[in-house]
Amino acid sequence: MGWLFILSLIVALALVYKPLGDYMHRVYAGTKHNGVERVTYRLLGVRPDTEQRWGAYARSLLAFSIISIFFVYALQRVQDELWLSLGFAPVPDHIAWNTAVSFVTNTNWQAYSGENTMGHLTQMAALAVQNFVSAAVGMAVAIALVRGFARRGSDTIGNFWVDLVRGTLRILLPIAFVGALVLVAGGVVQNFVGPHEITTLTGNVQNVTGGPVASQEVIKELGTNGGGFYNTNSAHPYENPTAWTNWFEIFLILLIPVTLTRTFGRMVGQLRQGYAILAVMGVIAVASIVLTNVFELAGNATVPQAVGAAMEGKDVRFGVANSATFAAATTLTSTGAVNSFHDSYTPFGGMMTLFNMMLGEVAPGGVGAGLYGMLVLAVITVFVAGLMVGRTPEYLGKKIGAREIKLASLYFLVTPVLVLIGTAVAMGNEAGLAAMLNSGPHGFSEILYAFTSASNNNGSAFGGVTVNTPWYDVALGMCMVLGRFLPIIFVLALAGSLAKQTPVPESAGTLPTHRPQFVGLVVGVTIVLVALTFLPALALGPIAEGLF
Amino acid sequence: MAAFDPQQMIKSLPDAFKKLNPATLWRNPVMLIVEIGAVFTTVLAVLEPNFFSWAIVVWLWLTVLFANLAEAVAEGRGKAQAATLRATKRDTTAVKVSGEVVSATELKQGDEVVVVAGEIIPGDGDVIEGIASVDESAITGESAPVIRESGGDRSAVTGGTKVLSDRIVVRITQKPGESFIDRMIALVEGANRQKTPNEIALNILLAALTIIFLVATVTMQPMAIWAKGANPGIPDSLALTGDGVSGIVLVSLLVCLIPTTIGALLSAIGIAGMDRLVQRNVLAMSGRAVEAAGDVSTLLLDKTGTITLGNRQAAEFLPVAGVGEQELAEAAQLSSLADETPEGRSIVVFAKERYGLRERDVHDAEWVPFTAQTRMSGVNVGGREVRKGAATAVMKWVRDNGGHPTEQVGAIVDAISGSGGTPLVVAQKDQVLGVVHLKDTVKPGMRERFDEMRRMGIRTVMITGDNPLTAKAIADEAGVDDFLAEATPEDKLALIKREQEGGRLVAMTGDGTNDAPALAQSDVGVAMNTGTSAAKEAGNMVDLDSNPTKLIEIVEIGKQLLITRGALTTFSIANDIAKYFAIIPAMFAAVYPGLDALNVMRLDSPQSAILSAVVFNAIVIVALIPLALRGVKYRPSSASKLLSRNLLVYGLGGIVAPFIGIKLIDLLISGIV
Amino acid sequence: MNRLPSWIRQHLAALRAVAVLTVILGVVYPLVTTGVAQALFNEKTDLIGQSFTDAEGNPVGKYFQSRPSAAGYDMLATAASNLGPEDVVDAPGKPSLLTQVCARSVAVGRLEGVSGARPYCIPEGVGAVLKVFPDRAVSVNQACPAQPFVSAYEGVKVECAKPGEDYAAGRTVPIRGNATAVVPPDAVTASGSGLDPHISVAYAELQAPRVAKERGLPVERVNALIEQYTTGRSLGFMGEPAVNVLALNTALDKG
Repeated sequence: MGWLFILSLIVALALVYKPLGDYMHRVYAGTKHNGVERVTYRLLGVRPDTEQRWGAYARSLLAFSIISIFFVYALQRVQDELWLSLGFAPVPDHIAWNTAVSFVTNTNWQAYSGENTMGHLTQMAALAVQNFVSAAVGMAVAIALVRGFARRGSDTIGNFWVDLVRGTLRILLPIAFVGALVLVAGGVVQNFVGPHEITTLTGNVQNVTGGPVASQEVIKELGTNGGGFYNTNSAHPYENPTAWTNWFEIFLILLIPVTLTRTFGRMVGQLRQGYAILAVMGVIAVASIVLTNVFELAGNATVPQAVGAAMEGKDVRFGVANSATFAAATTLTSTGAVNSFHDSYTPFGGMMTLFNMMLGEVAPGGVGAGLYGMLVLAVITVFVAGLMVGRTPEYLGKKIGAREIKLASLYFLVTPVLVLIGTAVAMGNEAGLAAMLNSGPHGFSEILYAFTSASNNNGSAFGGVTVNTPWYDVALGMCMVLGRFLPIIFVLALAGSLAKQTPVPESAGTLPTHRPQFVGLVVGVTIVLVALTFLPALALGPIAEGLF
Repeated sequence: MAAFDPQQMIKSLPDAFKKLNPATLWRNPVMLIVEIGAVFTTVLAVLEPNFFSWAIVVWLWLTVLFANLAEAVAEGRGKAQAATLRATKRDTTAVKVSGEVVSATELKQGDEVVVVAGEIIPGDGDVIEGIASVDESAITGESAPVIRESGGDRSAVTGGTKVLSDRIVVRITQKPGESFIDRMIALVEGANRQKTPNEIALNILLAALTIIFLVATVTMQPMAIWAKGANPGIPDSLALTGDGVSGIVLVSLLVCLIPTTIGALLSAIGIAGMDRLVQRNVLAMSGRAVEAAGDVSTLLLDKTGTITLGNRQAAEFLPVAGVGEQELAEAAQLSSLADETPEGRSIVVFAKERYGLRERDVHDAEWVPFTAQTRMSGVNVGGREVRKGAATAVMKWVRDNGGHPTEQVGAIVDAISGSGGTPLVVAQKDQVLGVVHLKDTVKPGMRERFDEMRRMGIRTVMITGDNPLTAKAIADEAGVDDFLAEATPEDKLALIKREQEGGRLVAMTGDGTNDAPALAQSDVGVAMNTGTSAAKEAGNMVDLDSNPTKLIEIVEIGKQLLITRGALTTFSIANDIAKYFAIIPAMFAAVYPGLDALNVMRLDSPQSAILSAVVFNAIVIVALIPLALRGVKYRPSSASKLLSRNLLVYGLGGIVAPFIGIKLIDLLISGIV
Repeated sequence: MNRLPSWIRQHLAALRAVAVLTVILGVVYPLVTTGVAQALFNEKTDLIGQSFTDAEGNPVGKYFQSRPSAAGYDMLATAASNLGPEDVVDAPGKPSLLTQVCARSVAVGRLEGVSGARPYCIPEGVGAVLKVFPDRAVSVNQACPAQPFVSAYEGVKVECAKPGEDYAAGRTVPIRGNATAVVPPDAVTASGSGLDPHISVAYAELQAPRVAKERGLPVERVNALIEQYTTGRSLGFMGEPAVNVLALNTALDKG
């Protein structure tokens, strides 16, 4: 049954691949503005028809993100003075900073429990808004990079404000609205009920609370954000009540990252290039999902063996297989929503979730972030492979010279360096070590997971780790900011540098980048590079735990 | 020169030691890290000496030394050539036109000097007066003298060559100390070798990998310390104590992971690439040009001399109606007996081979030579007046003699022109006998070369002064992709610019002064050594053999250079997989016994595992030096096929080889460590 | 405003963008969604699980019992246990996940009158785990003076664990034993949500005789209700069959 579940997701994605991919192409390539957008641009004070060089694009993006961080921080700090606070106190400063950074960077790492920390207005106006716009920012960067490949001899890579507004209003918002209603039909709550008590059948008191969950849940998945309305995220029956809402949420997670490859193919004028990138993502994703399923179903570890199934931290309605599929999907993308708790996974099942993130979340990755991450990996692959065919390497007709490889290398360096240095610092000091819930290699895995998740903007956790301390809030906050914006700057610079070039025409001497050969090569390079980078750390964590 | 000579390694050892100097080594960050690691482990081994530590120290130093050796061997080959060149660069004096005698080194641009037979030309320049035969063997290796004369395309002379006859006046065109020979010496020595664009890019990638592995190794330390602390029952081992992984092992791991193989061989590959060109008597003015050659997507080839043999030859006698073939052949032969042009000779030869007509002595003949005005030649003998020549000219002559050439003549002439040939009409007095079909012969094997080019994705364009019809026919026969007919130097330049605007890289050869702009504009401009100084200045390569076909070889050498780099990079990275399987269990299996499952090679002990990996890492450098110098095998084929092959050999091979190599070394040393 | 330097203009645009988008996405969108959703759909009432225990936390016999919860079914503090798959050694005041599983298994077995035995568990309801030293082994989850569950391991004597002694230096060896579990997996593991409204069909069927007996109902009647409140797989292949405990118990109460 678990296999049918995976297969049905693939079929569903295949059905929407073409229409949505083409639609997104029209959204970003179009020159017309609709009425709402024109009003929005006027309110923003930007001229939508002026294009930006990469520097200006990056500055606009950073300005928007910085203001967003301030805004989300401020709203948390004064939530008690505003409506719908549910009587909750202002969020403590280090948690407020961590949360602000976390949502603006599309990480949605949660150092708080939603149900007892955030008022409804904070959830709606601060957190859910960032769920939309941080996703739109990721898509904008991806589109800018694709423009870099598609354009010839151009100084500009688009207009950030236009990309942001169109991505939000024309793509994310309509899908979110429809998706929210689908979730409500499945039982997800959408109200403004605050915490109250009810009497159980046995006469005890149970705390319950509602909220505008569906409207936030849908964009949490669609925007590969992952910040749950409640602490237990998509395991919570109010966020994910049935097996089919579970399917639908996984579908939403994969929807845009997968279909963006079609948009990419359209924009560069060669659909097969999009298929090739999709194939790379698909091979890695399917392998990862299947392996996670296999490891979890086999349940090779002492407790799952004692239990008879890896059911700790999983809900009955999902079962082991569908939980494993969700876990793989959420870590293959930058989502980080969970419907089961990775900390209690089998050693190798848990390692898969870690490894998925270490891959840089490229298969299919976060909205936009997955595509640009994968394209950077393709650039690195093309560079080594291109040399092997005796030419200056080129991808989509653009030469991969010193500047391009420098930017690609810097991009590739950022997250491993953050993950490894962050983990090492944590392992070397008391404040860092204090966070472990589990002992032995599993405890180490918790910390490694935290820094991997933050640096790759995932947001899921080996949840036992106690990270609502100032030390972790600051350290992980830094990882999130640097792990998000440094790569974005490098990607935009790469876009600028590529856009300037005149493409080299394709010939028999050009390395074909749409054949299975190249697909296999990118898969190989991705896995080997990541494995080589993280093998020592993985050996001391999940591998040591799993092999004994 | 043999591709590789083991003796060179020994000869280059002293240079390899000299290169240990960090001031030289900093240009190669990967090896600099290894050297720093070697110093660090030396200190550790001195403080806490044991056999294992010293063995590692020795092999780390050997790793650096082997890398230096690769470079030194590559440079050594150039040095030998430079020495030969230097021998010709004796102190010469120059006699200026004014009679003043100065040292050759004091000559400035524009000075005019007199050189007479037996003297060495004191510097590069152009002959402005006189004609002389010159021995240029010093630079070309070719012993036959060449003619140099003022004006025209054979005016350039090179300093260091020797005038064998006559007297010439040379205007010096070089700056002091920048003579052709000076530059040649510098080039082959690699003295001011600058990194090429792809080399820079590759270096950046290697630096990034180095940083990643540096971070991965260093950050492992706190994790290891914690893991050891969490398992207090495990006794300290040589690799892992309460203070973490020992410095020696940490450095070993780092050195094994960073791309030392390609880092060690990278500059040797570049030097060897230039060297391979020199061996084919091509001088590249920069490594950049060699690299660009690999990227070339359009080759401009002059028709004459490159694609065709350059002389038109009789291929057919086509008589008009009423005239026998034999009769036409006889007339054509007769008219050509005194014609010493290649075309004329070919008619005589053809008549003999095909029609059995012997050459004969003709008495009392009045030979009518070819002139630009009459555009025909022939003979008047015994009342016969026979002419052959351009169709219009001969037909006019026939009409003037009262004849009426038939329509058929025109048809034959057009057919021949259409097929790319040159028609020569043969007439006797008032009657056209027929037409001789002169054909420009395509060099044997050219079609295959061009098919090869096409598979490599290179477009070939033939440049010719012929009319489009003729050009097309030859282009079809030779199998080039395109042609430029009635080409002027301006057309050529425009074509190059057009190709470049489309993102293509263009290579061409040239020798005349009027080729100079196009040579300068093209990405790879190969000037013929026989050409003018202007052409040589404008191009970025000089072919000492003046063989335009060599352009194709140059492209292949450029490709081979890049492929060698890519292949060894892949090999280097692929190697890391096995090394992890050797070193990780060696470090941590004591703490987490389950990790011994990763010891898939079943290496004897942690020490032998680590040492085997380090030794393999060093030995593989030496083992690959010959490959780096020779370049990986290159067979022209499509990019896709090339990649498959290289991936199989260097990717898969790179994964498998170290598993075998490390295991073998482990078997050898397991008793010792 | 065009006089302003461009970097200030950019920040102004950013500020306005945050404001405009917050209104659209943070206020209008959720309000409209809420309006439409409440107009179209009714809220479900049995989504959240609860615990069917008395004030002391003991299971009430006439009710089907929910799964263990790390959150105690408190919706204001939802949580999972987050304990790892190799969490097998008890610490003072902090039983290992293995011991929790074993203890639950024993408790459920006792409640339902079946065997609570499981692999890696000893009948006392703690994890069967040794810390092995070169000269001895310690059954680390069995505090002295308990009788170790095995007397010897690979030739060394097994001792009980002396409270306060640090056994960190020993090698951890869980002992599987030869028990087979009767109590289903979901009965001995904490859910992810801490509010799991469901139990497996197997666990429901295990409880049916006890509930029937407590309520004086025929087991067939209870089993029929179980079947009625079992949600199959969505579309036949999504998720797992699950019994909604609250709905089932409510139905039982209604008779």
